[in-house]
Amino acid sequence: MNYKQFKKMKVLTASFVSATVAIAVVYNNIILALAGVLIGMLFLFLVRKKAKAVLVDERIQTISGLAARLAYVILTITIAFLSLVFIMIGRKSVPPQASLEVLGVTLSYIALLSLALYSLSYKFFSNKYGETDDEQD
Amino acid sequence: MTNKIKVYRAMRDMTQEQLACKVGVTRQTIIAIEKNKYIPSLELAFKIAGVFSETVENIFQHQQ
Repeated sequence: MNYKQFKKMKVLTASFVSATVAIAVVYNNIILALAGVLIGMLFLFLVRKKAKAVLVDERIQTISGLAARLAYVILTITIAFLSLVFIMIGRKSVPPQASLEVLGVTLSYIALLSLALYSLSYKFFSNKYGETDDEQD
Repeated sequence: MTNKIKVYRAMRDMTQEQLACKVGVTRQTIIAIEKNKYIPSLELAFKIAGVFSETVENIFQHQQ
């Protein structure tokens, strides 16, 4: 199996998982959703194991890193913004809507968790790739 | 950064797939390098130069 075939497999698996989860949501069946996701993951794992061709190289890793960073920035900013909006709406509405405020606070905690995870993983990789303040002569 | 991978490949009658296999990357990466859309790491540049038994400077040229 070459990289192109692997990409097709990935798209097919993603379509299968999406369809299964959509059907599971319609029928309100969490087991079907979980089964779909697990089957998809297992299938891709087996395909990766069986494939002899190179499926991931430095260019793909670079692209993945850039895409992940962009997704992280967009998602974190969006969640932080939404949390502020929900907190403000919850407090200013008459009568005050505690549920909206709770949702806003929860979202802000998720944004904070995301920032904390980023900081920790940055620190980890920074140490791994030798960023240090020690000067060497 | 420019490179002469296509020229050296043609001289040795080698396909992109064969070169990709020899240096352990996908064919898409070789295409991207040949089109100057992706600058390879130093390690990959050395591997590519090694396949052609040339020095890195002969294959890759840096333009200011």
